[in-house]
Parts: sequence; C-alpha cells; structure tokens
Amino acid sequence: MKAKTKETVVAWGMVLPALLVISVIAFFPLFKTFYDSFFEFGLRPDIEKKFVGLKNYIDLFHDERFLATLKTTVIFTVVSVALETVFGLLIAVIVNQPFKFRGTVRAAMLIPWAIPTAISSQMWKWMFNDQGGIMTKFLEKLNIIEPGFPILGSPNTALWAIIAVDVWKTTPFMALLILAGLQLIPEELYEAARIDGANLLQRFTKITLPMLSSTIAVALIFRTLDALRVFDVVFIMTRGSVGTETLAVYNRVLLMDRAFTGAWFGYGSALSVIIFLLISIFAIIYIKSLKLKLD
Amino acid sequence: MRKFLLAVLLLTLAVVAFSGSRVTITMTAGAVGKELEVLYAQLDVFMKQNPNIKVSVMPMPNSSTERHDLYVTYLASGEKEPTVLMLDVIWPAEFAPYLEDLTADKDYFELNKFLPGTVKAATVNGRIVAIPWFTDAGLLYYRKDLLEKYGFKNPPKTWDELVQMAKTITTKEKNMVGFVWQGARYEGLVCDFMEYLVSFGGDVLDEQGNVIINSPAAVKALQFMVDLIYTHKVSPQAVTTYMEEEARRAFQNGQAVFMRNWPYAWSLLNDPKESKVAGKVGVAPLPAGPGGKSAATLGGWMLGINKNATPEEKEAAKKLIKFLTSYEQQLYKAVNAGQNPTMVDVYKDSALKKAAPFMVELYGMFINAVPRPRTAKYSEISDVIQKYVHAALTKQTTPQKAIEDMAKELNKVLGK
Repeated sequence: MKAKTKETVVAWGMVLPALLVISVIAFFPLFKTFYDSFFEFGLRPDIEKKFVGLKNYIDLFHDERFLATLKTTVIFTVVSVALETVFGLLIAVIVNQPFKFRGTVRAAMLIPWAIPTAISSQMWKWMFNDQGGIMTKFLEKLNIIEPGFPILGSPNTALWAIIAVDVWKTTPFMALLILAGLQLIPEELYEAARIDGANLLQRFTKITLPMLSSTIAVALIFRTLDALRVFDVVFIMTRGSVGTETLAVYNRVLLMDRAFTGAWFGYGSALSVIIFLLISIFAIIYIKSLKLKLD
Repeated sequence: MRKFLLAVLLLTLAVVAFSGSRVTITMTAGAVGKELEVLYAQLDVFMKQNPNIKVSVMPMPNSSTERHDLYVTYLASGEKEPTVLMLDVIWPAEFAPYLEDLTADKDYFELNKFLPGTVKAATVNGRIVAIPWFTDAGLLYYRKDLLEKYGFKNPPKTWDELVQMAKTITTKEKNMVGFVWQGARYEGLVCDFMEYLVSFGGDVLDEQGNVIINSPAAVKALQFMVDLIYTHKVSPQAVTTYMEEEARRAFQNGQAVFMRNWPYAWSLLNDPKESKVAGKVGVAPLPAGPGGKSAATLGGWMLGINKNATPEEKEAAKKLIKFLTSYEQQLYKAVNAGQNPTMVDVYKDSALKKAAPFMVELYGMFINAVPRPRTAKYSEISDVIQKYVHAALTKQTTPQKAIEDMAKELNKVLGK
C-alpha cells in the first residue's frame, strides 16, 4: 500500500510540470477569453470595462459580416477536408504498394506540407498573379479564363483558388496519417479474402475502409479543426476580400485593427469562443458518428 | 595589497565609464523601395557620431495594415521595445496614449521649420506625439516617350483626358494596359479612393466630423473608378489585387502608360539596372475631376517614442529622431530614397532639384495634399471604406448602393 502511494506521488510529480505548462499556455487563455467575452471593452486605456452578459453573442448573430464569414468558413472546411480525404486516401493506397523508389516518393510527397504556410501562400499568390503568374498563364492557355483575369480578385474564383492551395498543402498530411493506418492492417486478412474469392473492390470496401475508420476519424478531426480556424492562407492570398473572409480573418479585424479604436475586444473574444464551440461540435459529431474510442 | 585594490578600482571605473552609459535602442522601419538601405547608411553615420548609442532596426512588412497589427501587439503588451516607432500619418490619434509627449521638445526638434500640415498631423488634442519624417502625396506617373509618340504634348489635366490618352495608346501598343493604381482591399485603396472622391467634389467627413459621404459626387467618383476597369477598360481587372509594389512592377516593366503612386517610385523607375523605363518617365499632379479640382492624398510617416522606454532610452531616441529629421539627413533621404522632406528649406536646395525635380516643381501640391479622416477611430472607418469600395470594384454591389451602405455603417462606427 505504502509503495503504491509513493508511486502515485512520483507519478504526480512527473506529470505536474506538464500540467502547469498546459494550464498556463492553454487553459488560462481559454478561460480568459470566455471571461472577456461577457464584457464590453477595448485595449485603449480610456475605455472602461463594462459587464454586458450575453450581449456580444446576441449582437454577433445579428452581424451580417459574421454570418457571411461563418458561411465561408463552413464551405471552406467541408470542401477542402472532403477533397483532402479522398486524395489522401488515394495517394496512401498507391504509395503503400511496393514499387521502385517508394521511399523517395513518400518523402517527396511531403514537401508541400513541410513548407511553412506563410511562404507557400505567398508563392501561390504570385503564381495566381495576373502578370506572368504561371497558374494564370496555364489557365489562359486552356481558355478557361480570359487574359488578365484576376483569379484572386474575383468573387467567383478567389475562394476556390484558396481551397485548391489548402488541398495542395494538406493532402500529404492526410496521406501520411492514412498510410500509417494502412500499414497496421494485417496482410493475412487480404490473403484470407483472396482465398475466399473477394475482388479488389470488395477487399477495399470490406477490409481496408473498416480497418481504417479510426485512423480516418483522427485525421478528419485534425483537418477539420485546422480548417475551421483557417487564417494564414486566406489572409496572405486575399486579405479576406471578395467574399473569402473566414471567421479567423474577421477575428483579426476585431482584435487587431480595432484594438485601440473602440470597445471591440469583448466582441472579438465572443467570436473566438464561437470558433471554439464550432470546433467542439464538429469534434463531437466525428467521435460519435465514427464510434471512436478515445482511450 | 593597496596597489592591487587601486588597480581593481581603476578597472571598475574604466568599465563603468565605457560600458555603463551605452544604450541600445530599437526602431521599426519600412523597406519599401530603397528606404531601408538608406536608413542603414544613415544609422552608420549616427552611431559613429554617438558611440554610446547602438540602434538596431526591426524591418517591418510593406503593408501598412500589417505594421499596424505588429504595433498593436507591441504597445498593448506594455513592452519597452521598439523604442522608436515609425508611424503612418493616420495613426497618431489612435496610438497617442502609448506615445511619449514631445510637446516640450518642440524647439529641440525645430518644428517651426517643418511643413505645418505634417506637424498638424502629428498633434493630437494639442499634444505633439511624433516628429514628421517624410511626407507623401499621390502622383501621376506617365510614359513621356509614349505620350510624345502619339502626339500628346502634356500629361492629362482631367480624368477624361487620361482615359482618352490611355485608350489611344493601348490600341496601338502591344501588351500594354492604360492605367495602374492601388485597388486591393487595404489601406492604400482608401488613399486612391479619397483622390477620386475629392476631385469629384465629395468628402468623407466634414469639419465637425459628420459623415457626408452619401452625395451624388461620391457615387460619380466611385462609378468612375469602376468604369476605368469595366467600361473604359483602361485599367486591368487585376488592379483590384494591386498594392504599390504590384503597380510599380507593371509600370517599371513597361506594361502600363499611366500609374498612380507615391514619390518613392521615382528613383526606382529611373534606375537603369532595374527598370525598363528609366529616363522615359514623367510625373504630374493627378488629373482633375469634372469641377476642375485635383486632389492628392496626404501620406507620410513620422517617428514617435514608446512611452514604456526607460528615460535613458528616451533620451537616446530623441537624439536619433533629431538626427534623422535634420536638414542634411532629410536631403540625403530625399535624394537617395525619393521620400519627400518635411522641412521647408530642404525644398530650396539645389541638390534636391537635381535629383528629384518634381518634388520642387510640385511643392505646392505636396503642401496642399488632402488628409484622410482624422479620428481615433480611423482604423474602423478605413475598414468600412475599403470593404464597400472594393465590393463595388469587384462588381459585388453597385456604386450607388456601396456609397449608401458605407454612409450607414460610418454613422454607426462614429455613433451618430
């Protein structure tokens, strides 16, 4: 008994530093943001902090700009995550087959994901540039767009260009996670299926997909949570113009542009809380619907 | 033993004397065109003259909006760095609570020798919070060679003339657009919009701070900007994604007849190593609207001191600002970086006339440049203007509706 208490003490002692760090860097800001969202205040010293209860939240849902950014964020998330999952699965299945230079291909495939988003977004912004941008030239040659058409300056194309960049960038991440899942499936299952006469499609839908479901769920959660708070790629490529403003980009306007101009900080905090809640809802849906065991 | 103690004492004294008074200060600086290069050269001179002061530079992003973000972070955190802040002409009112009051140092900085408009822009409720460093105004750059080739003796006097000239030239010249400017959704769009707005006879706020944007003149001005792209087709659609440097690159590569830009572009456009149009460029005031009025937006940057810095750092910072805004250094900056001086006498210097003749010729225009709305809520106002002007330029709404909605939202922002 005594040995066990001692062990518990040691265990706590070892976990404590990590817990402290997490509470300082994660829990404290989270609770502070919750707390701030019930107040009306700004960072300017002459603005008084006033408790307003749920007013910020009520105002948010009457704010057309917020509703528009919510819609854009959801479209961005659903489309980009769906495409990334499909492409990621496809690529993972391919690079799981034995072929020459497999190691090189697996490494090369990770390059888009390894480039910092700020840099790759700027790179793509130049590629979409109307004068000499390679994507613009390419699409012009294919007669998809007229010469001089600004892909990132047009409401019909800008969001799709951004989604394309996000898919380009994060598909490798999906593929990598799924590849790890694929390697855990025992070869005997396929062997048995082949002996029973199952064809390729049957083997894929009856063995691969079910065995992969928890891996895919984890990957989906990661990607969805990231997509819901997307900021860098949008801010760098369009600054949120022509209908590409996402929740996080609007949040920057409230917390940065307006930090010293008026009492917007509480309102911005409320928006942060909404993003947090939205992410939680998506996470719960995934966990419940894919029957994911978290422990 | 006594000798040893004496030696120790002397050594300590020496260390205190040489290192104790050494101050390190930081300053933020832009890197548009040649300005950073020029600043480094100036700082070398300053640090030689003041061996006790070390200045380290924090280069800032080109976009004024992004610099603003960084300043919010620095100042809200109460850090003592950066010591010296390079401030856009529209920021003093907003950042005033965080800036050192320089009213008492008026004579030290010789502010009576500065352009009055720039000092006014640095004054918030009677307090001087920054020292004007360089001033800016929107200009029309044009291709002298092409205008001559097609028989135009003078640059356009009115917007209609500009459209006519651009059309004539671009139908005959291959791979050229008529007119490039700053149409991306950012602070620069407000500058460009103000110029059309005022030249067509409108304005955003009146003297009392009332919103007067909802006028037929404003609708006509915005309609004209939209027409430049879609009706006259003299500006490429992509102008709605351009900031200063995108416009400059297009013009510099010989792809545009006219460009609206700031004075900094002059020395770059005439650098034969970089530019394909060196020696072929002319500068004129921006064209006038239907009423014959021409307007250039007042730009420019000033230097302020962070209130949280220590007294020694503040002293060093004042010395640095005094140095950078002195006659010789303003002249050096104007000649080498093409940024307009804020001191009146520099405009009379023959060296400036030789390097950037337009600065001297257009002096009258520079001192009459139109300021953007002056209020501590400027960032919010700018955000609203950017949003609706850009929506009209990308055809998401009509100019009429854009101006009406803009007026409504501006009233809301200002609590009217």
